[in-house]
Amino acid sequence: MINWLDNRTGFRELMHEALYERVPGGARWRYVWGSTLVFTFTLQMITGFMLWSAYSPSTRTAWESVYYIQNEMFIGYIIRGLHHYAAQAMVVLMAIHLVQVVIDGAYKAPREMNFWLGIVLMMIVLGLSLTGYLLPWDQKGYYATQVTTNIMSATPVVGPEVQKLAQGGSDYGHLTLTRFFAMHAGILPAALVAFLALHIYVFRRHGLTVHDAKHAPDTTFWPDQVLKDAVACLAVLAVVLMLAILRPAELSAPADPAVKFDAARPEWYFLFLFRFLRFHAVEALGLTFGAIVVPGIIMGILTMMPITAQVLGEWGHRLNKAFIWLMAIAIAVLTVMAFYEDANDRGHQAALAEAHRDGQRAIELASGPDKIPVDGAVSLLRRDPYTQGPRLFAQHCAACHRYNGHTGRGTLVMEMNAEKVPVIGAPTAVDLGTFGKREWMTGIVTDYSNHFAWLKNAQWFKDAQAKAAAGESVEFINPDGSEMADWTSGNVESLKSAENADNVKALVEFLAAEAGHAGAEFDSALIEQGRKLATEGNWAGALNGTSCKQCHETIGDAFPAQPTDDGASGYPTMAKYGSAAWLKDFIRNPGAARHYGAKNQMTASTPEKLTDTDLDLLVRWMTGDHTASKVPDYPGQMEAVKAAISK
Amino acid sequence: MTSSPSSSDASPTAADGHAPLAPRRSVLVHFVTAVLSFVIVTIPATLGGLFFLDPILRKRKDAAAGGKSGEVSRKDEKGFIRLDLNRDAVPADGTPVAVTVLDDIVDAWNRFKNVPAGSIWLRKVGDGPILAFNSICPHLGCSVDFRPAEQDFFCPCHTSAFALDGKKTNEIPPRDMDSLEVSMRTNGADDPAGQEIWVRYQKFRGATAEKIAV
Repeated sequence: MINWLDNRTGFRELMHEALYERVPGGARWRYVWGSTLVFTFTLQMITGFMLWSAYSPSTRTAWESVYYIQNEMFIGYIIRGLHHYAAQAMVVLMAIHLVQVVIDGAYKAPREMNFWLGIVLMMIVLGLSLTGYLLPWDQKGYYATQVTTNIMSATPVVGPEVQKLAQGGSDYGHLTLTRFFAMHAGILPAALVAFLALHIYVFRRHGLTVHDAKHAPDTTFWPDQVLKDAVACLAVLAVVLMLAILRPAELSAPADPAVKFDAARPEWYFLFLFRFLRFHAVEALGLTFGAIVVPGIIMGILTMMPITAQVLGEWGHRLNKAFIWLMAIAIAVLTVMAFYEDANDRGHQAALAEAHRDGQRAIELASGPDKIPVDGAVSLLRRDPYTQGPRLFAQHCAACHRYNGHTGRGTLVMEMNAEKVPVIGAPTAVDLGTFGKREWMTGIVTDYSNHFAWLKNAQWFKDAQAKAAAGESVEFINPDGSEMADWTSGNVESLKSAENADNVKALVEFLAAEAGHAGAEFDSALIEQGRKLATEGNWAGALNGTSCKQCHETIGDAFPAQPTDDGASGYPTMAKYGSAAWLKDFIRNPGAARHYGAKNQMTASTPEKLTDTDLDLLVRWMTGDHTASKVPDYPGQMEAVKAAISK
Repeated sequence: MTSSPSSSDASPTAADGHAPLAPRRSVLVHFVTAVLSFVIVTIPATLGGLFFLDPILRKRKDAAAGGKSGEVSRKDEKGFIRLDLNRDAVPADGTPVAVTVLDDIVDAWNRFKNVPAGSIWLRKVGDGPILAFNSICPHLGCSVDFRPAEQDFFCPCHTSAFALDGKKTNEIPPRDMDSLEVSMRTNGADDPAGQEIWVRYQKFRGATAEKIAV
């Protein structure tokens, strides 16, 4: 049977040719790198074909199909993870292979051609990694690839055309993805296979570059060297498999050209180039110089190595070795610099946190019962209060307010102090991190002055106080001197007394239930007790007979659908205080007589400033009215803010 | 040549030792074979190559043209788009505000009506004119941010920095931020004192000193 096959195919000779390559000086671990690269490429082919079977390249399906692979399909995250990490392994292995070829002089005559074939292979692999980075069509890939295609456009003469060809048009869109995908899964791999075949053919023609022929007795490729190669490949596989399982490949939020992305970074092995372009001295010479000329010169020197060694002899080889070590050190230094700077860049860390939160949330929404609408996952985030609320808060509220000490997006509000050093700015309005919740209501009822003490940082407050001190009559919200402040501070002992402990709890329960934020459960007996306290004032001790309703006449009422100032008493309405309806009306008309009237200092957010859609998203976020999220919110920054203010 | 494996250079000298080769054909046959082989490979390769060049060879239709059907476009025939916010909503102290521009996007076979197309920075000082900048960094296309403490525009990728009037303040970006044409209107008619902000939203080529719309 085997003879029959051999007669017709000659496979024995082929196998012999393939497996019984002589290995002078014995099998060595140092010879494994080429094989690990072939193995990694095979791994990429297998996982790549499988990903292809589920991937759909268009701006409305790319992220969606990758999400589906990663989160829904059987062992999808392993297949994608393997592909993701093996791509990185390939770059690392390629770098090792290249350095070894240079220091061992394996590039020298008669192996010049093979060295050049290797350079071509390296370019193809880098091309594969660049094109692959965009395919998930997430924010990370989208913005990082924008940088790449913009660099292309800086190519002298043909730049803009090259960019247009890569993008499939003048801007990113469906055709960018179809073209990148064709390059990534078709053209580049086909070229890689062809050049790899030539590379191996020429390698076999000249044989191994023997490091030390006297190291051990000569042997053959099979089985001695293959064993070592297989062990090395297994090690590579183990590493990428472990990474794929323990640190699943990330998928950030779906690409949205209208959402600014502050965390854009290339894949880590391109960070050295990224960092290089950050040098002002480099950029002063023009982008083309830093992004194209310098890498071009480096590639040129690399390509010239065989000729350098030929012309300059042993000195040329030393020069080449020095160059490759210099490059390795420079790349390592720049990469470490980039990592170090990013780790210490508060802005970048915040941007990463936001990118992570958005990505997780997009996945969470896509996993919901409604799945992804046909207009794509990008619309899920655009309509999501949990995503848009923090952004709207940061834009419209965070100039004065904070949310647990931050802007809503997890970042601190910074300002310059007198010495031109950025410091954390003092909030000039109340922190809204607990708005409408029990904690908030407790603060108002029992500790009004302190609850609103943030206002005292505001310039209008200082001005008003100065005027008041000068004997002028000014109306302003004074956390230390208003009827409400007097009520809480005047009755502090009674409020804190044991006999009223349950009453305070009940009143807070009632108030929080009136606000009715989603996600909280309320005790109906307590609510009723609280309602009586609010409307009838049946407290124990000195407080007895003081009810909220005496001033806030509408407490306990429904918030009117068409709020008016009829019957406004000069005291802010407490009808459904803190609820979505109340909050919407308040944000639109804080200076209405039913709210703060003449005392108001908050800027009204008219529809020209904050559209109805955005107001709805903001209020729904602040009142918890959105699909619940397991994605953690930004960590509170209250401690940092308080520490900064106390200085 | 039928008895030996054909080789691409059509040279019959590579005898495989099994059978005597047929006598050399005339020069004409060599020539015709070479031309024919060349032609059959070149035609599909050229056609394929030309197809790949579609982005620069195709005569495109006006992508910006507003369709008449479906949702009402916010874009006028000169390409100006009405923003949600009005003049008074832009802080008078010069603090820039980020605004999402809704535009009609033609993406190959799709037209998306009134979808978020990009982000711009708006700014005014006192009663001065409204300034609009595309938030795309003219360096390499990342997003430019406003830094309140430093009071400047800053790109977190390669540290491009710009003054609040859009002038570049370091050597990283090749040009100033891309300003956009702004038209103040009342009920859609030009009125320098009007409240409505209309912006001609455009993207510009990155990585070049000149401002070239794409």
